[in-house]
Amino acid sequence: MWRGLWTLAAQAARGPRRLCTRRSSGAPAPGSGATIFALSSGQGRCGIAVIRTSGPASGHALRILTAPRDLPPARHASLRLLSDPRSGEPLDRALVLWFPGPQSFTGEDCVEFHVHGGPAVVSGVLQALGSVPGLRPAEAGEFTRRAFANGKLNLTEVEGLADLIHAETEAQRRQALRQLDGELGHLCRGWAETLTKALAHVEAYIDFGEDDNLEEGVLEQGGSTGWWGRKTPRISSQRLPSLSLSACLLSPTADIEVRALEVALGAHLRDARRGQRLRSGAHVVVTGPPNAGKSSLVNLLSRKPVSIVSPEPGTTRDVLETPVDLAGFPVLLSDTAGLREGVGPVEQEGVRRARERLEQADLILAMLDASDLASPSSCNFLATVVASVGAQSPSDSSQRLLLVLNKSDLLSPEGLGPGPDLPPHLLLSCLTGEGLDGFLEALRKELAAVCGDPSTDPPLLTRARHQHHLQGCLDALGHYKQSKDLALVAEALRVARGHLTRLTGGGGTEEILDIIFRDFCVGK
Amino acid sequence: MFYFRGCGRWVAASFTKQQFPLARLSSDSAAPRTPHFDVIVIGGGHAGTEAATAAARCGSRTLLLTHRVDTIGQMSCNPSFGGIGKGHLMREVDALDGLCSRICDQSGVHYKVLNRRKGPAVWGLRAQIDRKLYKQNMQKEVLNTPLLTVQEGAVEDLILTEPEPEHTGKCRVSGVVLVDGSTVYAESVILTTGTFLRGMIVIGLETHPAGRLGDQPSIGLAQTLEKLGFVVGRLKTGTPPRIAKESINFSILNKHTPDNPSIPFSFTNETVWIKPEDQLPCYLTHTNPKVDEIVLKNLHLNSHVKETTRGPRYCPSIESKVLRFPNRLHQVWLEPEGMDSDLIYPQGLSMTLPAELQEKMITCIRGLEKAKVIQPGYGVQYDYLDPRQITPSLETHLVQRLFFAGQINGTTGYEEAAAQGVIAGINASLRVSRKPPFVVSRTEGYIGVLIDDLTTLGTSEPYRMFTSRVEFRLSLRPDNADSRLTLRGYKDAGCVSQQRYERACWMKSSLEEGISVLKSIEFSSSKWKNLIPEASISTSRSLPVRALDVLKYEEVDMDSLAKAVPEPLKKYTKCRELAERLKIEELPCERQILALLSQFYSHL
Repeated sequence: MWRGLWTLAAQAARGPRRLCTRRSSGAPAPGSGATIFALSSGQGRCGIAVIRTSGPASGHALRILTAPRDLPPARHASLRLLSDPRSGEPLDRALVLWFPGPQSFTGEDCVEFHVHGGPAVVSGVLQALGSVPGLRPAEAGEFTRRAFANGKLNLTEVEGLADLIHAETEAQRRQALRQLDGELGHLCRGWAETLTKALAHVEAYIDFGEDDNLEEGVLEQGGSTGWWGRKTPRISSQRLPSLSLSACLLSPTADIEVRALEVALGAHLRDARRGQRLRSGAHVVVTGPPNAGKSSLVNLLSRKPVSIVSPEPGTTRDVLETPVDLAGFPVLLSDTAGLREGVGPVEQEGVRRARERLEQADLILAMLDASDLASPSSCNFLATVVASVGAQSPSDSSQRLLLVLNKSDLLSPEGLGPGPDLPPHLLLSCLTGEGLDGFLEALRKELAAVCGDPSTDPPLLTRARHQHHLQGCLDALGHYKQSKDLALVAEALRVARGHLTRLTGGGGTEEILDIIFRDFCVGK
Repeated sequence: MFYFRGCGRWVAASFTKQQFPLARLSSDSAAPRTPHFDVIVIGGGHAGTEAATAAARCGSRTLLLTHRVDTIGQMSCNPSFGGIGKGHLMREVDALDGLCSRICDQSGVHYKVLNRRKGPAVWGLRAQIDRKLYKQNMQKEVLNTPLLTVQEGAVEDLILTEPEPEHTGKCRVSGVVLVDGSTVYAESVILTTGTFLRGMIVIGLETHPAGRLGDQPSIGLAQTLEKLGFVVGRLKTGTPPRIAKESINFSILNKHTPDNPSIPFSFTNETVWIKPEDQLPCYLTHTNPKVDEIVLKNLHLNSHVKETTRGPRYCPSIESKVLRFPNRLHQVWLEPEGMDSDLIYPQGLSMTLPAELQEKMITCIRGLEKAKVIQPGYGVQYDYLDPRQITPSLETHLVQRLFFAGQINGTTGYEEAAAQGVIAGINASLRVSRKPPFVVSRTEGYIGVLIDDLTTLGTSEPYRMFTSRVEFRLSLRPDNADSRLTLRGYKDAGCVSQQRYERACWMKSSLEEGISVLKSIEFSSSKWKNLIPEASISTSRSLPVRALDVLKYEEVDMDSLAKAVPEPLKKYTKCRELAERLKIEELPCERQILALLSQFYSHL
């Protein structure tokens, strides 16, 4: 009887991966041991559909579906007849790929079935897989989660992958690809490494300085190995802390490292809004005096009749939003009511909303009637909206403005008549399309400045989470500079490092201990 | 050469004698009824003694099974307790009414708080302990614990039965089989077998099976556990040789004296048993290139060093120090083993060279030129069980009501073992009375960090506590362990005495009252400046300043405040601990960083 129990018990205990999961929750952790399968291409009728499996029973499943054939060579496409293991009925002639772990996307054994895309074939193969013991349908995101759990992707790469799957525009795709390469992860890891090393040396002084004969001038100044470490043999009489606290706190090496990190972080934080715009779309607001042709421009850019266009001033009263792809950038385009005073309450509300929207805009398309520049409403608009945006400092985070003079078709051949001095502007006719190419090129440049061009710029921070943690890191470094007590210095560094490792993964104590035991001879 | 002396002999029956039939079960009894306990603890080391006494404090009829009663409370390695991180654990063990801190306050010979120049969160209470006194005092305490019975005997096997359906686990433990074939039944069983599972001692090229020098290993038990399906790993550790005290020339060495006054480990003690002037000094010396030479020349005679089994990186043998950090002078602390001991423990000289070479190497060291080695240093290799196989209450996933504590879980150190022992003892007892487990979280104590790290991450080297492992280090300070754990231990575990509970409650309410009184006292900054001239109080502020804010100044403590405003502050200086804790609670930077921390952890 006990032999039986022991076997069961042995099975339960076997497998280190299973033991890695937190068992205290009671429920078996997802992904422990099971083999998962899913349709990886989109739903619906299509030429080819890809079905994937991941887990230890993948090879078994492939063999059962392609019986009596053996496993195909690893990572080579092979044509196989798939049949239902229960009935023996043929399902489809398909390309199959066998990826034995750990060299696979998830790090586990994986199989891909490239089957014909008809719904009957797809559901037939999925049902056949479901009938293989040990296989179950995957949960949403489970392949990626396994890849993450097996160290195939880090957190930023996982997020990059999610973005890639949802990338709707070309620029978004490039950004996502770059992030998937781990560029942001690489950068953050570099920063985190600097902090980890700094922290390790402070922690070494706290944990081992007096207790364990730390045989080093840990916090000596001017160490050639960076931070406060010094590789020359020395003896410090421990238990009597021979080094004063100020010697460590005012160490110039430490200050230089941390300051360099702070500067780099600050630069990237200024970048942050751009990355977010690229992910969720830049806010472009069309504004101007009534009847300048704003709605015509919105309809032209979105290639559909979003707004009602009429010769009557004040036709547009509410804010009309439409998402468009402009030169590869995702844009949320807003048409707004013409700005004027002394109108009825409904239009007045429209004007109020227009002004509100203007404040949130990343890029303002300021529109004037080229044939009506001398009118009070045009002058007023130039003096208020255009001048105030132009007065802002041209840093990345501030609003940008493109001044467009519409209705160029109404101008006399001499061009603009006498009028106020104009800032740089573009001439356009929404009616004839004249000047449209130049306008679109100018617009692309503006959007590239607003969103950042992912093919040339340093990696952008595409998620609010990234911005949050980098800011948190910067704040913590501020506390680091102020602290007088070594435990508090360490705490500030810990929080700063903690924020960075939220982005890159890792960040355990073990990394710190590794550095301590590598750099110092600690020991009783 | 070794073995089973006194197997099955009842050494000390406790106060339970009259209440339970067990007392009749002495070895001369012809046909004993099979004895039955609530909790059996196997092993009388630092985990076992804490586990057994904790279970008994919780009200369980407990049996402590050990190879030899005279080795209960043995300090098998260094003659010291505490340190940075370890001292924190001792305060927490004490807060749960554990033994080791109180015993150390009765047995120390050199008390010193480490890290005093750093913040109070990382102060490390530490003491050199008299081995003999510690063992005596521990045995007195254990043998006089109500509800606790102590028996000599070696356990060979576990008795297993059908599992309880409402819990996970493949089977359930219901007792143990001793080497002589007798059985003892129990509701819960705690294994604290230390390095005894297939323990192997290594000196030079010689190896022989032993749990500790002179003690037999547990082989049958190790096989039983492996058969049950527990994942077993192997670790190694070592201990230095012991040197005859009179053979050392202390006069040319650096002398280190203890703290004055001595700070006790236990919350219940105002002071330790011995005056600072009666305590013993430690001495410091260093290795030299001759030591390196002997190590390097004789590597071929040293199997322990060459093996791949993981040893602790923070407690390397002198051989590994020489190999990893060559051309350096390494420190050697000469520590007393006790008041009337003739032995000196050379901390930093853990080694496994052949015995004759050990003395040759030691005599190269300054001050030790004529040193006599009384007992050679040796290495120990032993089995441990992957601690990811246990829950946060230290019960195994595999076998219901079986608990592991101490070195068997891959830890090292007396304090780490004691901490696990208390938790295992409490939970084994709670399991018997079908109460929810007592789990300390990472936010509540070093004990929580220790157990969470072990049960979720496992370990590949002997696990030791460091303050750097603790996320909430600033809050989990040695001074406030009672407010974190004593109240919970009393209410949720029942392991805390009424007296200790009342003291912790008094301290908590006094701290709260003290802070509100400090808030209520307000003077102008210039008046404060006059009252406490030594403080650098800025007089530029026109608003009144609270006493609480004055306390934040580095130069101000409760004594100077009470001198300035005797009423009502004088009463808060009568208890030294209360006055110090009020000051620590109000350290200004501490507050700011804590705000930063809570912001960080709330946004995860």
